[in-house]
Amino acid sequence: MPVNGRKRMVTITINKNQYLAEEGEIFLLTAMRLKIDIPHLCYEKALDPYGSCRLCMVEVVTCGKTEMTPACTIKVHNGLEILTDTPEVIKHRNILFELYLAEAPKSEVIKEMAAKYGVTKTRFLKKIVHDDPLLGKCILCGLCVRVCSEIMGTCAINFINRGPFTVVNTPFYEHNPDCAGCAACARVCPTNAIVFEDTEKDRVMRSWSGTTVPMMTCSSCNKPFAPEKLMHEIQSRLDPQINEDIRNMCPECRRRYISRREMKIPIT
Amino acid sequence: MDERTLDEIIGRYPYPSGRTLGILREVQIKEKHIPMDTLKLVSEKLDTPLSDLFSLVTFYSFFSLKPVGEHLITVCMGTPCHVKGAEKILQSIQEHLGLSGDSSDGKYLETTPDNKFTVEIARCFGACSMAPVLHVDGDLYGYVTPEKIPEILTRYGWKR
Repeated sequence: MPVNGRKRMVTITINKNQYLAEEGEIFLLTAMRLKIDIPHLCYEKALDPYGSCRLCMVEVVTCGKTEMTPACTIKVHNGLEILTDTPEVIKHRNILFELYLAEAPKSEVIKEMAAKYGVTKTRFLKKIVHDDPLLGKCILCGLCVRVCSEIMGTCAINFINRGPFTVVNTPFYEHNPDCAGCAACARVCPTNAIVFEDTEKDRVMRSWSGTTVPMMTCSSCNKPFAPEKLMHEIQSRLDPQINEDIRNMCPECRRRYISRREMKIPIT
Repeated sequence: MDERTLDEIIGRYPYPSGRTLGILREVQIKEKHIPMDTLKLVSEKLDTPLSDLFSLVTFYSFFSLKPVGEHLITVCMGTPCHVKGAEKILQSIQEHLGLSGDSSDGKYLETTPDNKFTVEIARCFGACSMAPVLHVDGDLYGYVTPEKIPEILTRYGWKR
């Protein structure tokens, strides 16, 4: 129960040591704050915990029995007891790293992370990634799909096929007019698999079948600065007065314009 | 599929829960595949993102994005049939019909260039006692051997 708006502090046990933690906090964040090492790929603070990468597995001790649970789906409560480095957790983690090395053989992030935990080779057949729009780096964690639908509300991409054939792309593998070009997918991707490119006039989402979104040019300096569709979406949510101030200007020109106006310097 | 037929199908599903799969199922049965334009139309009419529908259609093996030929050959690939040599039966059919057997989406569904035969695989017909089995347009054939394939195909207008 929060007292005076502050979170209640509770005692938890991690690897037999006692710590104070905020009640209701996601355990993975508590561990990160306490500098207890738990590898993870699919945790993104903008989205609800999903537990799809399975790397943050820890053992929860309840009534003397242990249970494997992803750390990102555990909420801290009084008396919580966690073990993060039991032989079982380590074994699980190492096999997962081997699987990830086979699933995303070109990903430097995975290679580095696996090497940190002593896994450099994989027993599994490496995925053939010839012509892969995601460069052989995708681990199918679903962050890009979720950020596109849950945060942006565009639903431009989704999972296609199933099982070992699952990929993420646009419907029919063609240019998708729904895409706003926000590139939130590229930003949340834990393995940097999603590539896009800003050309003179357009933003080209290379990974999403070459989906092209026109860029808005600054009304003052004529430089392209943001995807047009994204800007329209933002402007439709803003106060008309703020829109008036923005005047389709890039952040730099806008800053100059507003500060000059406030300081009553004539605008040239 | 024209808009009126689609509206008719959608009209039969007044409640939002579970209607998407029902509508797509009817489209698949009527058209023998899911045409791209129809899927886009369904997405507009149901106000569902096209990416969600495409994800559904590529997930379930019931749906196909490519048109199905005149005769549909389904080869059972369930465990008992597999043990009894279903792999060889499929290979033999592929050789006779000149199909490559490559699949990039995990669903095996291939049609001959003359649009006469489509070959697909299924997991189990429940006719394991007659393994290996296959059916063509609903006619079941049991105890199939690669030698019997040309005879079965000839019945449906296949010429060597």
